[in-house]
Amino acid sequence: MVTAKVVIRNLTGLHLRPAGILCNKAILYKSRIQFRTDDDATANAKSVLSVLGACVKSGDEIEFICEGEDEQEALDSMIRVVEEGLGE
Amino acid sequence: MFKGTNASAGIGIGKAAIIKEVEMVIRPDKVASVETEVTRFRGALADTVAQTKALEETLATRVGEKEAEIMQGHLMLLADPMLTGEIEEAIKRDSVCSEYAIETTCTTYADVFAAMDDELMQQRATDMRDIKTRLQQTLQGIKPVDIASLPEGSIIVAKDLTPSMTAGINPANVTGIVTELGGKTSHSAILARALEIPAVVAVSNVMDKIEEDDTVILDGGEGIVIVNPTDEGMKEYTAKRESFLQEKKDLERFKGVPTVTKDGVHIELVANIGNPDDLAKVLEYDGEGVGLFRTEFLFMDRTSMPTEEEQFEAYKKVAEGLSGKPVIIRTLDIGGDKEIPYMGLAKDENPFLGYRAIRLCLDRKEDIYRPQLRALLRASAFGGIKIMIPMITCIDEIREAKALIEDIKNELDRKDIPYNKNIQIGIMVETAAASLMADVFAKEVDFFSIGTNDLTQYTMSVDRGNEKISYLYSTFNPAVLRSIRNIIKCGREAGIMVGMCGEAASDPLMIPLLLAFGLNEFSMSASAILKSRKMITGYSSEELQAVADKAMSFVTAKEVEAYMKEFVNQ
Repeated sequence: MVTAKVVIRNLTGLHLRPAGILCNKAILYKSRIQFRTDDDATANAKSVLSVLGACVKSGDEIEFICEGEDEQEALDSMIRVVEEGLGE
Repeated sequence: MFKGTNASAGIGIGKAAIIKEVEMVIRPDKVASVETEVTRFRGALADTVAQTKALEETLATRVGEKEAEIMQGHLMLLADPMLTGEIEEAIKRDSVCSEYAIETTCTTYADVFAAMDDELMQQRATDMRDIKTRLQQTLQGIKPVDIASLPEGSIIVAKDLTPSMTAGINPANVTGIVTELGGKTSHSAILARALEIPAVVAVSNVMDKIEEDDTVILDGGEGIVIVNPTDEGMKEYTAKRESFLQEKKDLERFKGVPTVTKDGVHIELVANIGNPDDLAKVLEYDGEGVGLFRTEFLFMDRTSMPTEEEQFEAYKKVAEGLSGKPVIIRTLDIGGDKEIPYMGLAKDENPFLGYRAIRLCLDRKEDIYRPQLRALLRASAFGGIKIMIPMITCIDEIREAKALIEDIKNELDRKDIPYNKNIQIGIMVETAAASLMADVFAKEVDFFSIGTNDLTQYTMSVDRGNEKISYLYSTFNPAVLRSIRNIIKCGREAGIMVGMCGEAASDPLMIPLLLAFGLNEFSMSASAILKSRKMITGYSSEELQAVADKAMSFVTAKEVEAYMKEFVNQ
C-alpha cells in the first residue's frame, strides 16, 4: 500500500467534470484507489458518485491510498493528474 | 394570465404543443430469474449509453459545446461502477425488476445531492432523475417524445425540459417554451437562452392550465404567460414582439462600432464581471474590456484561503481571454457580513461601515493582501491588467498599498519573474471621504472608478435594502450628482482616467449627464453594452452641457429625474 497527499487546485473543487477526469485515469489501473479527505471521509476514486459525495472543495488536501500490483504507478498518475489541474 | 420565472428574454406567440412524458408505473415486480434480469438491465444500460452519446453530438452541433457537456455528465454517471453495481445488487438481493431497482437506487442518490448546500450538486440531482427516467424508458420500450417534427409556430408546454427533449428543438418551429418546473439556472433555462427561444419556467400547474392547440403568448423577459388572449392582447403582444426583434437587430449594428460621441469624444465602454466564465458574454456583446473584475468569488464557498497560484491562474485566464484589452481587477472587497469561516473574521456590528476591503487587506498583508497582489502582478505579464483598490477613505491607505506593491515588484525583479512594470494602480471612489478628497487622491493614482451604488448609500446615509427608507436611495439626488460631478472634474484636472462601474453607468437617464461631466469610461453588465453604445454615439457631449446645467439646478431628486425623463423621451 502506498499513499501521498495532494491539494486540489481547481476553482470548483472536485465537481462533475474534474471528478470524471480523475475517475477516467483511475480506472486504467488494476489497484484499488481511494482517497481520504480532511474530515476523514473515504472515497473510491474509480466512482464518480463516490468522488462527488466526498464534497472536495478548492484548496482541500486529500490523501490518495493505492493498493495492488500497480499501486505506485497508480499513485504517481493520480498525483500528476491532480497537479495538472484536472482539465481546468 | 399566469406568472412564472423569466428564463429567456423575448416574446413568443403560437399554438400550444403539450409534451407529456408517458406515464410509467414502476412497481416492485418480482422476477423469476435474477440472471436474466441482470442481463436485461445491462442491455438497456448499453442502449441508453449509445443514445446519450448520440444526443451529445446533436446538442454539440445544434446548440453548443457547453450544452453538450450536460450529456457528458450523464455518460460519466452511467459509467460509474458504483451506480450500476448497486442497481444490480438491488436486483439480486430482492429478485426485483430492473425498473424498480433503478428507481430506488437513483432516487436515493438524487435525494443525497438535492440535500446538499451546493447549487452544482443540486443539479446532479436533476441528472440522476433524468438518467433514471431514460433507463426505465429504454427498458419499457418507450421512445422519447419527438420534438423535431413540431409544426411551425409551436409553443412547447411541458412539466420540464430534459436535455433529450431539447436536442430535438428546432428554433425555426418552436417560438416559445413554458415549463412547470425549473428556475433561471436549470438546464431548460440555459438551453432556451442558448437557442434564443423565449421561455418562462416554474409556472405552477401549467399542465392543467393549457390545452393542446390553445393560443399562447409568453413574455420571457417578464415571466408572463397568457392563454387564449383577446384580440387586443394579441395586437399588443404582436407589436411588442416586433419591437423586441427590431431592437435586437438594431443593436447588432453596433457591434464593432467605436464608442465615439457625435462631437468626437472617445468613450471606453467595458463590462463588469464576477468570475472568468462571464468573459464569453463580454466578447459576445463586443465589450472593449473589463472595467470591474470582482475577485470575491475566489475567496467564497471554500474551506481555506485561495493560494497565490489559484488566483494567478484565474487572473491570467481573464487577461488572456481579453487579448490585451484593459481589465481592471478589484482587490478583495469583503468583510464579516459574508460567510468566510476560514478568514476568522468577527461579525461586524455595522458591516457596511466595518472591517472590510482595504482595511482588512492592509491589516492582513501577509496571509491575504500580499498573495493577491503578487498573483495580480505576475498575471499582468499576460494582458492589460490594472489593479483597483476598494473603499478608500484616507490617503494613507493608497500610500500603504502602493508601497506594498513596490515591495512585491522589487521581489519579482530580484527573482527575475516577469510582470508589467508600468502596471496602473487606481481606486474605487465610493465613499464620502474619497469624494471630498478626490483632487488630492487623483494626484497619487492612475485612475478612478466611481462606485455609484456604495457612493449613493454613503452619501444619502441609507441602506438600500431597508424598504422603509429605500426611497432615499437615488443617484438623481443632487447631493450624489454633485459628488459624481466633482469626482470626474478632479480626475480630469489631474489628467487621469475616470470611469464608473456602478449601475448608473448604464442608466439611460444618467448617461447624458455623465457624458456632459466628462466621464471617460463606462463599465456595466455585458448585456447593456450595445444599448449604451447606441445612446452614446447619438449624443454630442458639447450639446449636453446645457442639459447637465439645467439638471444640476434642481434641488430634489424627483425634479432631476423628471427632467431627464423628459429630455430622453423627446
